[in-house]
Amino acid sequence: MTARESLALITETMNNNRKDIIFRSGKHFILWGVLLTLFSLAVFILWRATGHAQWNFLWFVMPAVGFPLAHLLDRKKDADLPENVFSRILSSIWLSFCIFSVSVAVFTVLYVSVNPNPIGTIAVGASLTAQIVLLFGMALTISGFVVKNWPVIVAGFVTGIGGLAIYYIVDLGAAQMLIFTFAGVVLALTGVIIKNLRR
Amino acid sequence: MFPKLDPILHSELRLAVMSILAGVEDADFTYIKKQTGATSGNLSVQIDKLSAAGYITVEKGFKGKMPRTTCRMTPAGREAFSTYVTALQEYLSAGK
Repeated sequence: MTARESLALITETMNNNRKDIIFRSGKHFILWGVLLTLFSLAVFILWRATGHAQWNFLWFVMPAVGFPLAHLLDRKKDADLPENVFSRILSSIWLSFCIFSVSVAVFTVLYVSVNPNPIGTIAVGASLTAQIVLLFGMALTISGFVVKNWPVIVAGFVTGIGGLAIYYIVDLGAAQMLIFTFAGVVLALTGVIIKNLRR
Repeated sequence: MFPKLDPILHSELRLAVMSILAGVEDADFTYIKKQTGATSGNLSVQIDKLSAAGYITVEKGFKGKMPRTTCRMTPAGREAFSTYVTALQEYLSAGK
């Protein structure tokens, strides 16, 4: 092998390796994006039809469905794919998002259930969407920086800050779930972009 | 005077294995085989050579009921790989 051929081999192998690993992350983005879209639409429809905000408890089912599906997705084809620094950072970002979102939701439910002040509890319960959409936007923006993709970075800002702005500007009621529908579509599209980085 | 290229690394398959391991924490034998397109026998021989040179560690274990061989680059391997790449770049820049 000449020096040029050796360097070309190193570059090609490292690039293929990096793309294969990031490709797996793309599949997870699509899975969670689709789930987020479906669950937000389900909550929106049920909440609007019945007038009961309690349909939001359906959100707790999403991780219970999503994590086994994600596990199955990995077992099927990419079981032997190793972790690299990018995939580890992406997993850490979204695992942190999941933990923070579920914690905020649980604390809100607990607060609302024990607090006797109805006006205060409504305000706390209602701000949950704003908090989670902001966390989501931050997680997506950082993911965009990790994969060095401007559309994903911009989508993160638009979803997080735009979602927050829409929430505060418009009195949305059940329709606030459509902010998450938009976020779900953006997440799935991010997955498609990440998968296409392989090419 | 050009630096001498490490003969352990200056082989197509061993270099490909090291390039894969340079970007990950560790990698499964089957994954390396898939990425390099090498046969199991040839890959085993080259992995043994890298292991004997102290450039990688090889760990045999199980994932569920399936046997699993995991390779990981050592600090000495990382150093050798980095020196090798620097040497290649010196060769190329001298050739311009």
